Amino acid sequence: MADADYIKLIKELLLFKEPQKVEKFILKENKRDKEPGEQENSDAINVDAKRKKSKGMHLNKNSESKQDEKQKQESNEHGKKEQKSEISEKLSVNLEYMKRIYSIPQNGDIILREFDIVVKDKVIPAFMLFYDGMVDRKVINDDILQPLMLLSNLDIKGDEKCIAEFVRNHLLPHNQLNEVKDYRKVIDEINFGGCGIFLEGMDSAFAADVKGWEHRGVERPNTEQVIRGPQEGFTEILRVNTALVRKILKDEDLIVENITIGRRSKTPCSMLYIKDITNDSLVNEMRRRLENIKLDYIIDSGELEQLLEESGFSPAPQVIATERPDRVASLLSEGKVAVILNGSPFALVAPATLAGLVHSPEDSYVRYPYANLLRLVRIIGILFSLLLPGVYIAITTFHQEMIPTDLLFAIEASREKVPFPSLVELLIMEIMFELIREAGIRIPGPIGPTLGIIGALILGQAAVSANIVSPILIIVVAVTGIGSFAVPNFSLGLTFRILRFAYIFLGAMSGFLGITVGLFIQGIFFTSSKSFGVPITVPFGPKTTRVWGGNELIRSPIWKQERRSDYLNTKDEAKQPNISRKWAEQDEGSGNNEE
Amino acid sequence: MKNKITFGRFEATCITITLLSTQLFLNLPRIMMEAAWTAAWILTVYISLLALVLFTIIFKLYKRFEGKDLLDLGEHIGGSIGRIIVGVIVLFFLLYIAPVILREFSENIKIIALPQSPLSFVMIFFVAGMIAASYLGIEAIVRFSAIIVPIIIAGYLLIIAGSIQYTDISRITPWLGSGPYEIFVKGIPRISVFAGIILIYLLFPFIRTYRNFKTVGYASIGLSGFFLIIGVLVFSLVYQYPTGTESFLPVYQLARLIDYGRFFQRVESIFVIVWVASALLHLTTLLFLIVYVFKKTFKLEFYKPLIIPFSIVVYTLSFFPHNLISAIELEKSFRNLAWIISFLLPIVLLVIARFIKKNPKKEAGNA
Amino acid sequence: MNRKIALLLLLLTIISILLTSCYDSHEIDDRAYAIALGFDTGTTNQLKMTLQFAIPSKISAGEGGSSGGGGEGGGSTSITTIESPTLYAGLNVINAYISKQVDLSHCKVVVFSEELARKGIHKYIHAMVRGREFRGNMHVAVSVDTAEDYIRNVSPTLEINPAKYYEMNYDSYKYTGFTGDTRLINFYMLEECSCRQAYATLVGVNKYEKSSQFSNDNSNYKEKGRDYPLEGDFYAGNIPKVYDVKSEVMGIAVFDGGTMVGSFDGEEALFHQMLYGTYEHSYISIPDPEQPNEFVLLNVSQARMPMHHVKMVGDKPYISTGVKLEADILSIQSGINYESIEKMIILESAAEEFLKKGIMHFLEKTKPLHADLCGFGRDLKARYLLWNDWVNVHWLNKYANSQFTVDVELRIRRPGLMIRSAPAKGSKGDVMN
Repeated sequence: MADADYIKLIKELLLFKEPQKVEKFILKENKRDKEPGEQENSDAINVDAKRKKSKGMHLNKNSESKQDEKQKQESNEHGKKEQKSEISEKLSVNLEYMKRIYSIPQNGDIILREFDIVVKDKVIPAFMLFYDGMVDRKVINDDILQPLMLLSNLDIKGDEKCIAEFVRNHLLPHNQLNEVKDYRKVIDEINFGGCGIFLEGMDSAFAADVKGWEHRGVERPNTEQVIRGPQEGFTEILRVNTALVRKILKDEDLIVENITIGRRSKTPCSMLYIKDITNDSLVNEMRRRLENIKLDYIIDSGELEQLLEESGFSPAPQVIATERPDRVASLLSEGKVAVILNGSPFALVAPATLAGLVHSPEDSYVRYPYANLLRLVRIIGILFSLLLPGVYIAITTFHQEMIPTDLLFAIEASREKVPFPSLVELLIMEIMFELIREAGIRIPGPIGPTLGIIGALILGQAAVSANIVSPILIIVVAVTGIGSFAVPNFSLGLTFRILRFAYIFLGAMSGFLGITVGLFIQGIFFTSSKSFGVPITVPFGPKTTRVWGGNELIRSPIWKQERRSDYLNTKDEAKQPNISRKWAEQDEGSGNNEE
Repeated sequence: MKNKITFGRFEATCITITLLSTQLFLNLPRIMMEAAWTAAWILTVYISLLALVLFTIIFKLYKRFEGKDLLDLGEHIGGSIGRIIVGVIVLFFLLYIAPVILREFSENIKIIALPQSPLSFVMIFFVAGMIAASYLGIEAIVRFSAIIVPIIIAGYLLIIAGSIQYTDISRITPWLGSGPYEIFVKGIPRISVFAGIILIYLLFPFIRTYRNFKTVGYASIGLSGFFLIIGVLVFSLVYQYPTGTESFLPVYQLARLIDYGRFFQRVESIFVIVWVASALLHLTTLLFLIVYVFKKTFKLEFYKPLIIPFSIVVYTLSFFPHNLISAIELEKSFRNLAWIISFLLPIVLLVIARFIKKNPKKEAGNA
Repeated sequence: MNRKIALLLLLLTIISILLTSCYDSHEIDDRAYAIALGFDTGTTNQLKMTLQFAIPSKISAGEGGSSGGGGEGGGSTSITTIESPTLYAGLNVINAYISKQVDLSHCKVVVFSEELARKGIHKYIHAMVRGREFRGNMHVAVSVDTAEDYIRNVSPTLEINPAKYYEMNYDSYKYTGFTGDTRLINFYMLEECSCRQAYATLVGVNKYEKSSQFSNDNSNYKEKGRDYPLEGDFYAGNIPKVYDVKSEVMGIAVFDGGTMVGSFDGEEALFHQMLYGTYEHSYISIPDPEQPNEFVLLNVSQARMPMHHVKMVGDKPYISTGVKLEADILSIQSGINYESIEKMIILESAAEEFLKKGIMHFLEKTKPLHADLCGFGRDLKARYLLWNDWVNVHWLNKYANSQFTVDVELRIRRPGLMIRSAPAKGSKGDVMN
């Protein structure tokens, strides 16, 4: 038989084989789109959504394969006619309905467990529904199935007439149990990792919260690392995150409001604020915005940020995104509002100010002279990342008289051999740098950072030896890149990375004149943009009190930060009494004796 | 644009300082020196004090008309016609000075930094800045000036401090220069230097309270006077009398002198930044005032569509003078007459308004 | 709305591509930077201009290579001389044959020849002040020979960048006292000042090839009544030195209303600085009061600004000045214990006498030149209230009739590391010096 194989092989290689007719896959248009009634409906939803400031809404124009199309049509038609709301008493009706809704047996990971309960010598059939992988199986076994199936045999003293009450009060020792009368509520609970329990003869069902899916534990925050300070970061579970915040602020006035976002994803999200500090109108505004977001699904708080902010075009971000619970807690106690979305380890805090974007969480934990020096370094880094290439181009092409003579000759000597004009050279290096940066994110494993550094060094060195760029330019581009890493806020860093190209062009066009006009226009944009009603250039813009005290640009010592920021209009202004270090007072008790 | 917008005192002071002091960067020290020779600084002190006195008179007269600007006063006196007359006068006043200043600043930048660029190219930058800022509204402009003006002042004081090593007190002797008559009598029309004070009369509705008006007025005249005085003084101390009248850009020449060691020289290009920022603020305020006065005079509803046409008008008008010298001559003739509009006109209006009985219908229509 | 913004940005980008680097932006390596400028009277035309350019590639290449840079040092500059009617005409012609455009914004020194300076240089100074390229800290110098000779002989060996040579050499007045602060801005203001006269650095080219050729013929020590020249008694071009760089700086040239009228040597320049108030410190050798053939070397610096007082009696000004100095002892050749308090007074008064004599000699020399270099007129000017009154005094004219009284006060502060001199012991007994 081996011979036949060889012959077949040779035939395949030498002779021509007709290609098989395989029908390629094409996405067909959805039949439903052609019906005029449907079209109007979807348009209406469309317009509605736009008015309510939602972006990226997926219209109904998603094409599906033939099979799904038919089934969805059927089920939707069915559903439109037969959307039940009330749970019926008959178990079979419930069973039928749930099977249809969850597309059992097509849907592979939903588990339907039918069992019997014995209650007061009566055998009651029941069934239970949950998603495999989303529930904690041990809890289901121990706290739901076991009591219902086994322990119901015990003689329990109770005198409820209604089965539901009896079961709920005595037979289900689970800590989060709801009795619901609507199908919708059970379905929502099951979708989010609960289990629904239906009993014969009950016109209500039990929805138990038995969440237990695999998730990342509480680890170090990835983006905001500090040396001094707590090393916990948010995870993707909403309750874990709110717990992390609440364990820092053990305040009963800390309100965690629940809001659901997304028509299909129904992502729960929490809004946190401290009731007797935060301004009511701020809370109401945030709530109004959150509740009026209409879209199909929302995945990450990045999307939520874009939906909440007023102007995507503004150069500065209008909310602060942070991964650290201690930072959220300190901002909450200043009187701001935080929003945490399930599935995202980044919490959003509003309102944001420009001075707040320069803060790093470590500033509070380090002594204040060092904190201020580091802030100065950060501000210099920010300015470099924005302006350095533009200023370099402006000086070397327009204002050569500004350069000291020695440096001028050094630059000129190194530029003699370069064939490109300065602008082109700079753009080449900038684009290469951005490429390396982007690529470095996607290189896997341990090679990643090393390759980035090596790539930059070797490329730079090789470019200089090949006389494509001059050495001074490498320094300029490298310092710019390093400066952009020094920006504590990621969005601001991104903004400035893009804006610096605008400054390069302005500088190349007209030197310092162009750069100044660019700074002027950008400054005006900054001062006119507001974040939740607060102008972002406060406290320099509208000059509120305590520009230099407090924690805005320069951080004063912690025992001097007595009042909350003025622009937040908090209900309670005082954070500390006048003397917070009471131990420093003398025993005579004569006034301030702070060292 | 309803009167929900208020400015704080600091912001209003900053923007008025911009309007009053920017001419220091243009021609002022030289003009003072041409008038009073070595006693230029005495002349400056004199007109500052005079401006303060006149402002006291004006604000005392204003007591009964809190929250009303000049156009409201015109309306109070003569109804719509009064308002339109006052508005047109102020409009012509502003439309005269804005193109002249735009031209002067652009020519200055051309001489300093960009000699070969065409004038229209340089002016486009200024006009673009003006338009963008005016679109975003008076609030943004005023807030931004509250941030920038301290920086500009710091830069200016650095220039002054850097030139101190060249000062020589003998350069401002003989003390009275061209004579007391020249200084004190012929110097009276020179209070037009403070002609920008018309800004706070026009922005009274935003400043709201009378007390704030008083603080803003005194603070801005006082501070601007101070900066003008030390600018003229240091310029006279560094460049003596006949030499100083030769120099075209006094403060720039001061900045060129800064020389500490072999490294810290030639930093006047950095002062170009301070310059251009100050010029942009000044021109933006003027453009916004033009548009705002136009809107209020003719009782229009929106001001944003007016911005681009008026900026084109200003841009075109600034090409009128043939060369820089005629632009300077135009500014000089402006400064001879501007005091009538900035100081006399409010006084006249206020005095007349006092004698007109308060008509309750007109009162309601004003705010 | 977004589309409009996108269109606007696109439009702006396109426009800016058209506008980019059209007008004023020029690359650094498209320009030739001149570091020295020289003017002479022309033989075939009005003006002979010399321009010295820096060659940056040789400058930075020289950092690795030429250690034997004696003759090689000239390789870092390139010098050209042309004749033309005016300054800018000359620049035009130079631009025609030099490949890069000339840029004068880094020019460090402008040199006039003595011949040209005696005809008047006010018009050139004005041209330079009007142009934005000329910096105010450019030095003004007058060359005893021709400017071209001076510039061609500048081939510095201690530094690779010739611009640095100029900067440092002309700043040497701060620690030698042999010239003065002659930056363009100072020169220009002093020219137009009604109470002072302007001065420029005196430069020249040294003629000596070997040290055996030294001679004192051109020194004016004899006029000062000395037997041998002290360190400052030379004019530029005559210093007894042999060095790789033949160009040298010593003394000042004095101008009256823009025309050169005379020159002073190094020591007189030092006295001028003392009287003017810009003197910092330098070494001065005083003849020993008790041993006339020996010297006491002092490091003298200015303690306070000098005081001037002018009194006009009719047409004659009576000028009295007071100079306050302080000194450290550097060397006592005779070994006499001047560090002690009793002897210090002797030394101080001897030094004061010596300096006073020199200053009087210097001031007498300025009188016929109408050269009020030290600004005595400032004091007088402060007494008038009106400018016109001051102008009617015609101070600069009347300066020639002045009578001087000079008062020098010198205090010795520190004796260095030795507080007493002990003799050297030899076979013939103690040797003190």
